[in-house]
Amino acid sequence: MVVSHLKLIIEYMKINIATAMEYRFNFIVQSLSMVANNAIWILFWWIFFQKFNIVNTWTMNDMIGLYAVLTFSFGIAGTVFGNRRRIAEVISEGRLDFFLTLPKNVLFHTLIGKSSWFAFGDVIFGLIMATIAFQWWQFPLYFLLCTLSAIILTSFAVIVSSLAFYMGDARSTSRQLDIGLMSFGGYPLSIFSDTAKILLMTVIPAGFISTIPVELLTQFQLKWFLILLGFTLLIFVIAIFVFYRGLRKYESGSMITTRM
Amino acid sequence: MGLIKYLHIGRISFKNNLAYKTDFLVGSLFIALIIFILINLWQTMYADRAVIEGFTITMMIWYLVMTESIVTSPGRVIEQMGDEIRSGDIAQKLNKPYNYVLFHYAESMAKSAQRFVLTFLFGGIVTLLLIGPLTFNLNHFFPILLVVILALTLHFTLMALISVFALWLEDSKSMHFIYQKVVFVLGGMLLPLDIFPDWLASIGKSLPFSFIAYFPAKLFVGFNWNDFLILIAKQIGWILIFVACTIIVYRISFKRISINGG
Repeated sequence: MVVSHLKLIIEYMKINIATAMEYRFNFIVQSLSMVANNAIWILFWWIFFQKFNIVNTWTMNDMIGLYAVLTFSFGIAGTVFGNRRRIAEVISEGRLDFFLTLPKNVLFHTLIGKSSWFAFGDVIFGLIMATIAFQWWQFPLYFLLCTLSAIILTSFAVIVSSLAFYMGDARSTSRQLDIGLMSFGGYPLSIFSDTAKILLMTVIPAGFISTIPVELLTQFQLKWFLILLGFTLLIFVIAIFVFYRGLRKYESGSMITTRM
Repeated sequence: MGLIKYLHIGRISFKNNLAYKTDFLVGSLFIALIIFILINLWQTMYADRAVIEGFTITMMIWYLVMTESIVTSPGRVIEQMGDEIRSGDIAQKLNKPYNYVLFHYAESMAKSAQRFVLTFLFGGIVTLLLIGPLTFNLNHFFPILLVVILALTLHFTLMALISVFALWLEDSKSMHFIYQKVVFVLGGMLLPLDIFPDWLASIGKSLPFSFIAYFPAKLFVGFNWNDFLILIAKQIGWILIFVACTIIVYRISFKRISINGG
């Protein structure tokens, strides 16, 4: 079961790489534009830290570490589960039929159905930032924490996209919530008030995708690692539950589609 | 008849946007969320000081409400126009009795007007609740309104000019991303240019992006008639330069478009 799904990921990756090579110019432009996009955020923080030096114990190096985790996780989620931001659209337009008729897990298959080339730029940028912010011996932990972060990002996207089963058209709402998670994730948790911190560790779990991993990388604490692991597992289970619960309400659009 | 048709296009766009209320509301609420994040960040920075580069915390947050409202209200013009140009859909619009760019300008300004009001309203409510009101003289309302209209016009002309490069780059989304972030930083949307190192602030102030966000928002939080007159003169100057560039680039580019029936 697990092996067959892993094989499916590999097959999709092969197709996606072949497509990227076919449209090489677009692939390069999109990847590089995402690198430039992220670099401008680093420029913003560089200007900020030139003026203030320190933000609630956070330094410029910590911010580079935060971007290393955030962009790499986002890149992995977008490269492997590139459809995660399109699920609401797929549901609203009744295009889930295609995945329902195939002998693979519906949610899993829908998620891996597309790969984002922009996300590849995030992966590259994340790795560049990681080489600046971390030592070589921190990399195994870095990859592990980014994997957990990517699972949280994907699970959150599935939960908010599943609103489409109940609301009908939830494209805008789910997209904004998803971008909201990333926006909050781009700032250290320490700048927020206590109430906001609670929200950012539960409803919009931005703290778990950036600040906690960065703090674990700079000063490892088993307690926080286990909390992160537990939360990842919890949101993963909730995402599966919410999606399949919603699927019972799904109405087919009877749309005939060709996937090329 | 001349320009009247563009008013009608704007009116239709205005009505169309009202049909997608949820989309509009969610988009503006999102900006309120960003303002909330920025309030938290700046409260931390102002914890041990009252003024930063001439800005009190109240001025700083209202400055950000204004920049966010101006910069985000037109939406994804580069993507929309770029996709039409790249895909060839532009052919359906070129044979209509209107100017292609002016058509989009009318559409964009109608959309911007609605979104600006909503974003400013939501951002303003969050700021009022968490920070407090800005001392604002109502006599300055119309001058600020004029500056905002010119800022949105300059924003549009820049985006219209950039979108034509979709013909060569074949990817308008990338161009939108980069342009957006340049305005975010060098335009002073996320930070007033006064906070930048001097050399970078000089570059930012001499580029057109700062006349979209930084200068209008700075005037809003600290109005001065002299600055107002200089600002509108410079905004008009930049608009004329980019209108001329847009006309030239579109004339050259449209020669590359071949319409093969349909």
